[in-house]
Amino acid sequence: MFISYLILIAFTSSLLANEVNIFSARHYDSDVQLYEKFTAKTGIKVNVVSGKSGALEKRIIEEGADSKADLYITADAGRLGAFEANLQGGLTSPAIKSVVPSNFRTSKWTGIAKRARIIYFAPERVSGSELSGLTYESLADPKWKGRLVIRASNNIYNQSLVASLIKNNGKGKVAEWSKGVVSNMARSPKGNDRAQILAVAAGEADIAVANTYYLALMLSGKKGSEQQAAAKKVKPFFPNQDGRGTHMNISGAGLVKGAPNKANAIKLVEFLLSEEAQNHIVNNTFEYPMIKSVSPHPLVVNMGLDFKQDLKTKVVNYGKRQADALEVMTAAGWK
Amino acid sequence: MTKYNIWFFSSLFIALIVSLPIITVFFSFFNETSNYFTLLKSTFLLDYIFNSMIILFFVILVTFILGVLSAYFVSFYEFPFSNFFSWTLILAFAVPGYIYAFSLIAFFENYGTAFSILTYLFGENNYNPIIPKIDGIVGAILAISFSLFPYVYVLTRASFHYQSNNYIEVGKNLGLSTKESFFKIILPSARPAIIAGLALVSMECLSDFGTVSFFSVNTLTTGIYNSWLSFDDLNTANQISFILLLFILLLFSIEIYSRKDARYHQPGRGFKPIIKIKLKGKKSIIPITVCSLILFLSFLFPVSQMIYWTIKFPKYLHDINILNININTLILVLLASASIVIVSLFINYGSRISKSKILNYLTNFLISGYAIPGVILAVAFITFFSNLSDLASYNLNFKSTKGIFIGSILGLILAYFIRFFSLSFNGIKSSYEKINNSIDESAYLLGYSKIKTFLKIHIPYLKTNIILIMLLISLEVIKELPITLILRPFNFETFATQAYIYASQDLLEAAALPSLFLIFWSTVLILLSSRYILSKKN
Repeated sequence: MFISYLILIAFTSSLLANEVNIFSARHYDSDVQLYEKFTAKTGIKVNVVSGKSGALEKRIIEEGADSKADLYITADAGRLGAFEANLQGGLTSPAIKSVVPSNFRTSKWTGIAKRARIIYFAPERVSGSELSGLTYESLADPKWKGRLVIRASNNIYNQSLVASLIKNNGKGKVAEWSKGVVSNMARSPKGNDRAQILAVAAGEADIAVANTYYLALMLSGKKGSEQQAAAKKVKPFFPNQDGRGTHMNISGAGLVKGAPNKANAIKLVEFLLSEEAQNHIVNNTFEYPMIKSVSPHPLVVNMGLDFKQDLKTKVVNYGKRQADALEVMTAAGWK
Repeated sequence: MTKYNIWFFSSLFIALIVSLPIITVFFSFFNETSNYFTLLKSTFLLDYIFNSMIILFFVILVTFILGVLSAYFVSFYEFPFSNFFSWTLILAFAVPGYIYAFSLIAFFENYGTAFSILTYLFGENNYNPIIPKIDGIVGAILAISFSLFPYVYVLTRASFHYQSNNYIEVGKNLGLSTKESFFKIILPSARPAIIAGLALVSMECLSDFGTVSFFSVNTLTTGIYNSWLSFDDLNTANQISFILLLFILLLFSIEIYSRKDARYHQPGRGFKPIIKIKLKGKKSIIPITVCSLILFLSFLFPVSQMIYWTIKFPKYLHDINILNININTLILVLLASASIVIVSLFINYGSRISKSKILNYLTNFLISGYAIPGVILAVAFITFFSNLSDLASYNLNFKSTKGIFIGSILGLILAYFIRFFSLSFNGIKSSYEKINNSIDESAYLLGYSKIKTFLKIHIPYLKTNIILIMLLISLEVIKELPITLILRPFNFETFATQAYIYASQDLLEAAALPSLFLIFWSTVLILLSSRYILSKKN
């Protein structure tokens, strides 16, 4: 009896009209609050399956034409790029195009918020002259031997960073670079970005590579007073300022092929790019806003806003060069 | 002569369902895999096997020491709190390995809880360099060991309980010291039970996904997951699964074999219960210390870390919709345990009244589900149902059925069914076998119908066992992670998935509350079932 009841539920739920279905690898509670605001405004119900990006992507692929997924939301352009074959064009409405710089979108997906992958250093142990002119490329310099921490090669942020290096310098050079970076590591890669910053604060290493919002998150006290104090011991440094600029990445949304609620999906993305939503995002996740009219959280502003962003390397390359990136890192013994 | 009746076909049907993942994995073993990553994969594969074996080796070692030592103390000695320890030591079952892993990281990381404690006690200083960093493989070994050692503890303790005091007396008469009689008499005679416990530990250890993936240790299970996800290569995933299954089936046979052996150690004539040695004062210090330490490390440590976090970050108390998750969990637990127990009663009853040999062989297949790691099961489940649906819609023009099985409660229950059926089937079988067939005959002579015999005679006899099995299935369902993570519907979280997702988003402090609830309900279930577990002979 209950089986037929469940089947009934399965069918009827797919027939309900006014909704949008999200597969999200970003599951901040602040995102859920945003979806609630969207529903209150439009009457469109937002359904979410959250999970790790890989598993979500696979489920969309296996479900194929039957997938109820409308939007795929994830925190890296490399992920969206690698998933392009399962996304469809037509997401970027004129409203979206007018606010998102072309560098951060394709017709299938668009950035919602930005982050930079930067260097953190311990001012007590790293001098200004050592830092001046620092680039991602020069992280392979032997002067950093035993002083650098960075997370594992299976991490998508690293894959995207290395992909952008390959796009700019060629695979061969980056293969050499990877070996240099591995030999400079203060410890075998472990932990997340925050753990890398804490390692510098704790004196395990002198410099770390991590995304911008982590430092602001710790400074905000949301991670407890110990981490707040620890975060004050490290300083951010924006690399490649004399060249193409600092590596930028996005949190973004892609329109899934065969999305049953395409119009609602576009509406939701337009809402996420509205001033109201952007303010909500930057104040909760400490990312950079996608649209110009909104200012980042004050803690992020304090880290410095006048740095040169790499707008030359299109984020679409992160997906295209991902396999090469993983290959050179693995070959270099980057765990 | 086998009758091809309803019992036969329904058993065949259930056996097929339960063996779906094995069949799927087996057939795709011969499919071609992509060449692109062949080299990469071949280097990774060795890494996976090596890590799996290292973890397995140390987990066996640690669980052996923890399980046997604690069982020895509470079985042979009476010391202050020995009764208290005898049941609290099982509570470690309530803390899944991945939640233990969260606590380890939280405690030992730079500026973590250990740092806070030291700062509180001794003032501000950089304590980070002196705090050991417990993560990676070492972390995985500890987390898995502490969450699994109760298997060894429970089985060894039961076996000690039924050891006759006669042997020990003989040993004493021969002039053996306490240490000698432990190694020469007590340990060898409990061997089958210990091996059975270790085999269960090994199976669970090899199929662990949450813990190793949290510590980013590449093992066979994360290898399956990664090759499925990163390399887009379901066939490689299935091939690694095949290797893993071989290991696990080997362990499974060891477990069954040692259990058969264990039957010879049931109490016979001349059985004398063990006379516990009373320890007072100084002599009781060692057992008290050892047992408290194990209890503290296995249960109190992770629980207090989670409580500490929940208090320290109260924001998440109202951010997380706990009521909803409780309801979801209740739905899953009720549907899964009821359907699994009802079907296993049905199949057991069928095999009893039809007395068919083929049916007996067939039901042996039913055990295979438990040997399959959840990750493999979920992957195979999706593969199977998406292929089936494609086939049906391509050849027969059927409407797609994927939505019914993938990402639905029904699919989730079905996957749990495959995973936990053997637990329930074998449990009911073992107590069904104790009802003598002549009782049925007498009932028929008294004019009872078959159904009446089942309802009025079998069910009352099996009742306690059915309750125990429902409790155990509920416990497994609450703790289950990979299947739920991969197959769950929209807007649907359990304590396990919620905790894991927060943790993977670098929000360990938010994972504390769902973890605490998970531990709370598991503890309730364990306490309810402990009187059965501790008194059960097997």
